[in-house]
Amino acid sequence: MTPSGPNANRTIDVHGLARVEGEGSLHVAIHDGVLERVELEIFEPPRFFEAFLVGRGYEESPDITARICGICPVAYQMSACAAIEDACGVTVPESVGKLRRLLYCGEWIQSHALHIYLLHAPDFFGCRDAVELAALNPAAVERGLRLKKIGNHLMELVGGRAIHPVNVRVGGFYRSPERAEIAAMIEPLQRAREESLETIAWVAGFEFPEIEADYRFVALSHPDHYAIEAGRVVSSDGIDATPGEFADVAVEEHVARSSALHSRLRGRDPYLTGPLARYALNGSKLPKVARDAAAEAGLGPVCANPFKSIIVRAVELYFACDEALRLATEYEPPEPAAVPVPPRAHAGAGATEAPRGMLLQRYELDAEGTILSARIMPPTAQNQLTIESDVRQVVESGLELGDTELTARCELAVRNHDPCISCAAHFLDVSIDRS
Amino acid sequence: MTARVVVAGIGNAFRRDDGAGPAVARVVAASTGAVDIGPIGEPLDLLGRWDAADLAVLVDATRSDAAAGTVRLVDLGDAVYRSSQSTHAIGLDRVVRLAQVLRRAPARVVVVGIEGEDFSDGEGLSPAVGDAVPAAARRIAELIAEAS
Repeated sequence: MTPSGPNANRTIDVHGLARVEGEGSLHVAIHDGVLERVELEIFEPPRFFEAFLVGRGYEESPDITARICGICPVAYQMSACAAIEDACGVTVPESVGKLRRLLYCGEWIQSHALHIYLLHAPDFFGCRDAVELAALNPAAVERGLRLKKIGNHLMELVGGRAIHPVNVRVGGFYRSPERAEIAAMIEPLQRAREESLETIAWVAGFEFPEIEADYRFVALSHPDHYAIEAGRVVSSDGIDATPGEFADVAVEEHVARSSALHSRLRGRDPYLTGPLARYALNGSKLPKVARDAAAEAGLGPVCANPFKSIIVRAVELYFACDEALRLATEYEPPEPAAVPVPPRAHAGAGATEAPRGMLLQRYELDAEGTILSARIMPPTAQNQLTIESDVRQVVESGLELGDTELTARCELAVRNHDPCISCAAHFLDVSIDRS
Repeated sequence: MTARVVVAGIGNAFRRDDGAGPAVARVVAASTGAVDIGPIGEPLDLLGRWDAADLAVLVDATRSDAAAGTVRLVDLGDAVYRSSQSTHAIGLDRVVRLAQVLRRAPARVVVVGIEGEDFSDGEGLSPAVGDAVPAAARRIAELIAEAS
């Protein structure tokens, strides 16, 4: 490490960022006490999924794209189905939509519980990992593991298995779960809902750096509920578009340091998708208990402190448990489990809310349903520029910190957004250069 | 006193020799009092399934330079704690440590590896790997006898 202090020349390099998915690094250069450069490098090899899809049948897209990610395969499947069904001009029945939402709640529960308890919370206790946190606070980690398990069970029940579910198809599902199978989830979900309220109270007690970012939020929005599996794309500065229209205004550009594409809204700054965006744009649609718990945890209607994303994620965890409980209680098996989706020569787009942000897919099909072109916009790629901007703000407000503490805070600034570098690589390792 | 033993076969039976682990676990569960706790989707799945066991045996196919059918035992009590953490997976060594901290770890965790040679699509083990299944099951039966 080079000498630290606010006026020094410093380089902070984090090679191989921990507790994020994929291969990436962060390089921060400070010259004469002035921040010169923040670069989030994503060196996960490009994965060429969009090219794999070209020439394949339209019904293969949910299973092929699910392989992009082991933690949010449902998000890939749901966005793929939405896009293909849009291209084919088919709207699935409400019962299928509800079962998709139930499956998606399982993914939100397991992904949010994993990130809150095992990946993000250790930072707030100065722990290297969940093992150290478990030694310090075993009851909390046990609670997180129980929550994650219930999410996994729900995914297994509806999706056939938790990782890369096999029951999802264009038009619906291969098989509708029996009423009794879903009813068996009601009692575990009631416990999970209670434990998610305890989660909100627990994370609200953490100490957070005081930072307010100027975010442009983008999320799906639905008139009737907190959007997950369907909706229009809205932003904090007035965008209100279909997923297809949004894909036209979100420009992706390649930069040398990253195998992920950087997204910008045409002619505008970077934007942020994910829990902070959803909460800011759709918070009024959360159930009253969730809104009250958020207020008790100190959140206003908008949370622009990225470190407090863990509270927002906990509020969403409650929501996902509550919503899954409602859907399980009202469950009627879709009959049939899937509707026919005849192909047509047309383009279509679909977007859904993955746990870490909006995931958009767009396809162009020929009359036989062969995929002529595919575009996939994962949340981490869309968020990459905003994550860099967060790190810049953290460094500028923390120049007085020593390199070790500043490095830790930079890593946390990245983890705040639960990035999935493998999905984006289309990322992590931090370096601070004070030279 | 009879030891509580759990066994899990890890692998995909539709990728030929990758199915060696589940094949061995089935033989062990049928021929001993061990409880088959598979299938395991990710190492964290082991928590809650192997708690309070005297011995947990995880059987998986390996791919190295060894001859096909080579059976190797790794005692995780001796394993180096070095897997990286990602949002997708917490490695087996970390899950063992987490279970130990939470006082839910088996007294002993042994990974049994069987070297495979054909991991292509399809069912059925290659002859050398198929021949190694009873040998691996016998090695595990010896571990169970030691634990009892």
